[in-house]
Amino acid sequence: MVFPPPIKVHAAPKLVNLVSKLNVRVLPTRRRLSQPDGPEGRLKRMRNIVTALVKNERIEVRYHSGDEARGYAERLISEAIRYGDLHKPTMDLAKFWIHDEAAVPKLFKVLVPRYKQWPSGLPYTRMLKAPTNIADYMNSTSLYAQHLFGVLELRGNPFPPLPGPFAKPHPGAIHNVLLEEARKEYFRSQTNIEKQAEQQTQAVPVPDEEDPLEQMTHNLLSESPTTESPESKK
Amino acid sequence: MLKLFRYGFAELSSISQLSRCLSIGACSRAFTSQARRDPSETDEATAAINEGERLNLESDSTRTNSNADPHQNPYKNEMEETFAPFRFVYPEFLPDPTIKWRNRVREKLERMDMLKRRSNIDIPEFYVGSILSVTLSDRNAPGKTNTFVGICIQREGTAMRSMFTLRNVVDGHGVEITFDLYNPTILNITCLRLEKRLDENLRYLRDAPPEYSTFPFDMVPELRNPDAPVPINTLKVKLNPKPWHAKWQLWDLKGVEDFSHELESREWRKLNTWKFSEGYETAKYDLMKTYRSTIPAEEQTEIYSEVHQQLAKLTASLRKQKRKRTFVKPQKTV
Repeated sequence: MVFPPPIKVHAAPKLVNLVSKLNVRVLPTRRRLSQPDGPEGRLKRMRNIVTALVKNERIEVRYHSGDEARGYAERLISEAIRYGDLHKPTMDLAKFWIHDEAAVPKLFKVLVPRYKQWPSGLPYTRMLKAPTNIADYMNSTSLYAQHLFGVLELRGNPFPPLPGPFAKPHPGAIHNVLLEEARKEYFRSQTNIEKQAEQQTQAVPVPDEEDPLEQMTHNLLSESPTTESPESKK
Repeated sequence: MLKLFRYGFAELSSISQLSRCLSIGACSRAFTSQARRDPSETDEATAAINEGERLNLESDSTRTNSNADPHQNPYKNEMEETFAPFRFVYPEFLPDPTIKWRNRVREKLERMDMLKRRSNIDIPEFYVGSILSVTLSDRNAPGKTNTFVGICIQREGTAMRSMFTLRNVVDGHGVEITFDLYNPTILNITCLRLEKRLDENLRYLRDAPPEYSTFPFDMVPELRNPDAPVPINTLKVKLNPKPWHAKWQLWDLKGVEDFSHELESREWRKLNTWKFSEGYETAKYDLMKTYRSTIPAEEQTEIYSEVHQQLAKLTASLRKQKRKRTFVKPQKTV
């Protein structure tokens, strides 16, 4: 039973609230995630993710619930930018969505100034698929375990960038220096092996006279019309 | 095109009774187009006059830029501010928010069609609670036209499919007619009294005494200052005793007198169960639900900046023609 019960009227947009346009993809309906505690429990699950995101700026979550919570985080930030902290309904929203009271000022004092002059069309958050070790989930018999987890982060965070579609490798980072050295060493070793192989192929093998089998094969090869050695002509 | 519903009522009350009922709340005037309704502040127990005063205060603080606190709204977009009130005056220009039915090309074509229709007929500004008179071409009527007067109890639909429902009590029968706003057989729409009510729709008038929805067919349009804000009628309707056409307790209606004494204990229990099972307390925090039920402000600005110039030109020219037609040159009397 839906509350209040639906009445057969033609749809029209609600006009009371003005909302900012989101720059993330919005699904036509909400995801059908499991909600054992009802719609209220679902919102509270979303709230846990949003609170963790505002506090830590980069979190690892289940991909689908994280992507669902992403929309709520974007909406909360856009409302905070639009109405500010003196607007009472927006403050109520912030207090609901950020369960930790100490983190509520962070939304208005840190995130709003950061995203106020944000380039248009660029979302405030980023959702990436995290690599998952499939062997850990073999017993769960789920074929969709490849992207079980994702990384949800606020853009413009102070952490080093993640390897994603927009991240550039930092040449000064220690792991990049080591990787670069390892790569160079690998190619050096590869070239050495190639050189050795070339030298081996260029040197003509001299048959061992004492071994009859070696002698036979050498003769057979030299008799064939395609490969004629100068020794057989003599 | 035309739907007709009939509801029986016992008797038709006198016009004096009706006017007495309406004059209770007609005094307070307010403008809430930009005021956000705050659910925590609205208390059911507050009197109608207090409500009107509160709305007035809110409207003053939001409407005039000089009084507004600069820290109140850090987000300032002049285009959006100018076009924000348009969504109440021309709501049918906004498309259906259902994402899977959005089609930008169709919406644009429909807007062009609406402007073409509006170049032929002056569709006035009206709201739920306004009293309208609609003249419809009807080839079976004696004068080939048919006029219906009534209170607008509902507006629904978008674009060319937008409709409004008028309600009146004729010969003791409640009559409701749903008109398509862009129906080409409509000859004239006149707003006799421009006002708003406290609720989104007034379907509960079906279960109210007939004096709340009885209006004379020879009603004269009220004169009003076009620059003044649209008044809000804070009338509280007293519903008839049960049985009702719908379970009115399930909507938190603001324009209805308290009817809690009508409800039985099992109805209270069921109401609370529904509220609990649907997350009634936290539903207002569902930000994505709000987003999916509206058109974003940026899109609204885009739509209204596209049509507003043509709309203003059309309405000005049509009203000029109307004045010319009605003006009668005074004769010299010796």
